[in-house]
Amino acid sequence: MKSMLKQGLLVAALTASAAPAAMAAECADADRVPITWSTIAGFYTDAMASLVSGFEAGHCVKVNVINIDNSQLYNKQVIEMVGETGAYDVVTLETSEKAEFAENGFILPMTDYFADKQAQLDDVAPTLAALTTRYKGDVWGLPYYTYTAGYIYRADLFDDPVEQEAFKKRFDYDLAVPTTWAQHHDIAEFFTRKAGETLKGEALTKDFYGVGLMAGPFPEIQDEMSGVLWSQGADWLTDDGTVPVDAVEKAMNDYLELMKYAPPAALTVTYDGVMNQMKDGQIAQTYSFFLDQWPNAVQTENTVPGARMGVAEAPEKKAYIGGFLLAVSTSSAHPQEAMDFVAYIGGFLLAVSTSSAHPQEAMDFVAYIGGHDAQMEFARAGGTSTLMSVLSDPGFATPESRTKTGHFATLLEIFDSMKGFRSNLFDTPFGAKIYNTMQIPLQSAAAGQINAREAAERLASEVEKICGGPCPIGK
Amino acid sequence: MSQSLSVPTSRQRTAAGQAAMSDRWFSILLVVPAMVVILVFALLPLAYALDVSFRFADLTRGRIGDFVGLDNYRTVLHDKAFWDSAWVTVKFTLSAVFLEMVLGIAIAFLIHGATVGKGVIRSLMILPLATSAAVTGLFWRYLYDTQFGLINYFLGLIGLPEPNWLGDYTIALWSVILFDVWQWTPFVALIALAGLQALPKEPFEAAELDGASTFRILRTLTFPMLKPVLFLVLVLRTIDSVRLYDAVAVLTRGGPGTVTETMTFYLYRTGLKLFRMDYASTMAIFFLYAMLVASLFALRPLLTQFSSRASEG
Amino acid sequence: MLQRDSSFAREALRYGLIVLVLGFIVFPIAWMIITSFKPPEDVMVSPPRFLFTPTLENYVHAIYDKNFLFYIKNTLFISVTSTVIVIIAGSLAAYSFARYNVGDGHLLFFILSTKMFPAIAVILPYFLIFRDVGKTGVGRFLGIGLDQPGALIISYTVFNLPFAIWLLVSFFQDIPRELEHSARLDGLSRLQVLAKVVCPLAAPGIAVTGVFTLIFSWNEFLFAYILTRKVASTVTVGVESFFTLQGILWGPVAAAATISVLPMLVFVLAMQRYMVRGLTFGAVRG
Repeated sequence: MKSMLKQGLLVAALTASAAPAAMAAECADADRVPITWSTIAGFYTDAMASLVSGFEAGHCVKVNVINIDNSQLYNKQVIEMVGETGAYDVVTLETSEKAEFAENGFILPMTDYFADKQAQLDDVAPTLAALTTRYKGDVWGLPYYTYTAGYIYRADLFDDPVEQEAFKKRFDYDLAVPTTWAQHHDIAEFFTRKAGETLKGEALTKDFYGVGLMAGPFPEIQDEMSGVLWSQGADWLTDDGTVPVDAVEKAMNDYLELMKYAPPAALTVTYDGVMNQMKDGQIAQTYSFFLDQWPNAVQTENTVPGARMGVAEAPEKKAYIGGFLLAVSTSSAHPQEAMDFVAYIGGFLLAVSTSSAHPQEAMDFVAYIGGHDAQMEFARAGGTSTLMSVLSDPGFATPESRTKTGHFATLLEIFDSMKGFRSNLFDTPFGAKIYNTMQIPLQSAAAGQINAREAAERLASEVEKICGGPCPIGK
Repeated sequence: MSQSLSVPTSRQRTAAGQAAMSDRWFSILLVVPAMVVILVFALLPLAYALDVSFRFADLTRGRIGDFVGLDNYRTVLHDKAFWDSAWVTVKFTLSAVFLEMVLGIAIAFLIHGATVGKGVIRSLMILPLATSAAVTGLFWRYLYDTQFGLINYFLGLIGLPEPNWLGDYTIALWSVILFDVWQWTPFVALIALAGLQALPKEPFEAAELDGASTFRILRTLTFPMLKPVLFLVLVLRTIDSVRLYDAVAVLTRGGPGTVTETMTFYLYRTGLKLFRMDYASTMAIFFLYAMLVASLFALRPLLTQFSSRASEG
Repeated sequence: MLQRDSSFAREALRYGLIVLVLGFIVFPIAWMIITSFKPPEDVMVSPPRFLFTPTLENYVHAIYDKNFLFYIKNTLFISVTSTVIVIIAGSLAAYSFARYNVGDGHLLFFILSTKMFPAIAVILPYFLIFRDVGKTGVGRFLGIGLDQPGALIISYTVFNLPFAIWLLVSFFQDIPRELEHSARLDGLSRLQVLAKVVCPLAAPGIAVTGVFTLIFSWNEFLFAYILTRKVASTVTVGVESFFTLQGILWGPVAAAATISVLPMLVFVLAMQRYMVRGLTFGAVRG
């Protein structure tokens, strides 16, 4: 994966500098309309950069990519929006931020733009599309990347006869991928061992833990807890816009139960820390984990002798679902080009009308890359696509592509299980602020400073404070 | 205050007449460049904050809104999180500054007495200052990690308990303090060391001839002479500690929960995550007010000293 | 004989303690530098790995793939320019405070008090100011605007001036007035006295102030992150590009951090000679 990462970066760097020169015949550099895309620093977006040149090839546009650390992306973008600087034409939003950006006029509705491109819109996994693209009846952007959560585990442990036998003896049922929280809890308890005890019949040199948790001071703790809460039929916000204290307390207590079987570092880490624990052979399973990390998790097979990774739906078939959304800033000086770009990166459009002077080349280009192919290329580089046609492509279901796209089939199952799912958290204009605050009471409880009840009550009062009363929910 | 600090300029004026007037203009001209920069860029934001503190201002919901009187001040005064963060700040500042001063001075004495290798020692001491807290903090987080961290690995080797440095809410603040002590003790030590080296030799030789004890020399000679330097360091360190942000942001992000949430971090969360600039500005003004009141008392001796020295000669 | 033994024991104890202190100070940075030479698979392992095959891959990644030298270049330009301005404006003002006591100490107190307003509260007004200035002809000409070096140069100047002035005042106060009086009698103007007599004498103090100003500008994060996007980003912001969705790239971060410490270290070592004399703050008098 490392060499792949380097390759991706190299491609990005090369194409970024080479593209304008190569296309000079069709479009003079001076004529190019500059648009700027603010996005998350890191591998996937770097891979996307190679697609940017694909877009530039077909449009007389120069795309500037600005990479921002994920934890700073939200406030940096809001400041530029509030200041109406027009510095970012295309922005990258988390699912919970969409309603806020739409409601406050930071991004442009794209309903009209997509009016004649319905088929392309329909290719986005419907479950995801419902949560990410729409707010109050309009289309606001396209998801180009999903981190929908599922269950990632050490399949080699589950297949070990010694462990299977011991598990059966202790819990009176077969060790298998859990489908309920109770089973999940049993497995976490079962695999938690001290150094010196045995695992798969071999003595452990360091402590081993049943589950990896993201209980650090980051928003991911609530993504993880969302799975528990949602599977219990509750949501972070009721339809009245308040926090259901009893339901949150129950989910919190279930989470605290699991904390007993997580490494102590759980209280300081987020997903990257959990991946490090996995790759270092410290944990047996994750709980409700971002599936886009699959190519990362699979590295465990290289670092831990005998390890084999597996991926499945989360227990109770409910887990955090969401993705990064591309949207067009209201203060953009070139909204049309920005929308074209969103559509292209989103994986759809290549009705390259701008190159009508060279229809043949444009068609060649469509044939060569195409909207669907853009996401295909992204997926081949290890990115997690949002398109049904890409996720279900048989080419990604082969054993050879397992290390990069082995999670695609699971994603399709999740999208199917969660069909029609909606969360009020994503439909309130205060979603982003709530999302950025909820970790605090939840983490206090995880650290043992307050109990589950207090955490739920504190969350309720924080949310009320943020919304100034019950939160408005706009479906 | 103005009385104690005022300087008898009348003597100069009567003595020099015309020249004193020109002295005055010269001295004012010298200050102008710095003052222009400071006035524009310190007073404009302050004016903005004052204005916003009397209005409704949720930046994600439109522009600066209507005048709301003292509502924001009332809200902030009744905000438990604000007072909690103030308490965290006080705990942090007192502990960190105390440790840094004591250790820094002790280290300075230790090195002052050393006969060889002072240059090397000094060069190594400057290292923590030459790196940014945003980066070194990241590596401290790595060092503090319970599984991958070097600190717990060594503690484990010698059989000591292995704390969850940043995850245990009872010690997380101390871990942040330890990081700050690591970064800033050398600053105190280097300055105190230079102060020690600049001390004149004669009074000490005389005292030794008189058979004064080490303790007595320290109490009556060394510390009184070092006092001005140490006081300035103390003031600078206190101001910086009260404004602590970087270390918290990179080490704990205020967690677990809000255990390490300092005032400036809470301000950041309110202003740049929740975008309630009205509350953030109000807090900033409370913050400034508290600092000014505190420093009016604390800085008095320092200012008196500067003024009196400026008027000498 | 007995006395020599005890003094030897004392020296041994002294150096033992010094080594302990230095170990504490140096080991986090040493670990960072070691990490910068580690292959990725040797970084996040428990127990920590001390033996590994050193690699320059992380440096290649930081310099070539992430173009880290670009950030170094930006930061050098911004922090050096800002430091020069701080030293010039700060020295003039500090001399005036030290010799003529402008503002009776109130002005000096006011200057220090501007350091007491939390940076977070000024960042948004700064953002708006630079946005508007950047749209004007003057702003464009001087490069003062969002994502332009001028905005950071001004911010760091404002940020460091109070500290610099306070330090410099005490240095200037240490210079005997008699020298200035006699220079004046020799026919030098006031400015000439300042340039030819006072500044050379205060050189150590100015060097120390410059070192700290440069260090603080070099390491600043918040302003750099809010006021820049790409063109004028500095090293502390550049490090962020190593925080990827796949986790923190520890090796390259360590390499980038090591690279960005080097210029500071070289500068500080070069200034050692001055700093030794200058670090007294001038406030110690015999």
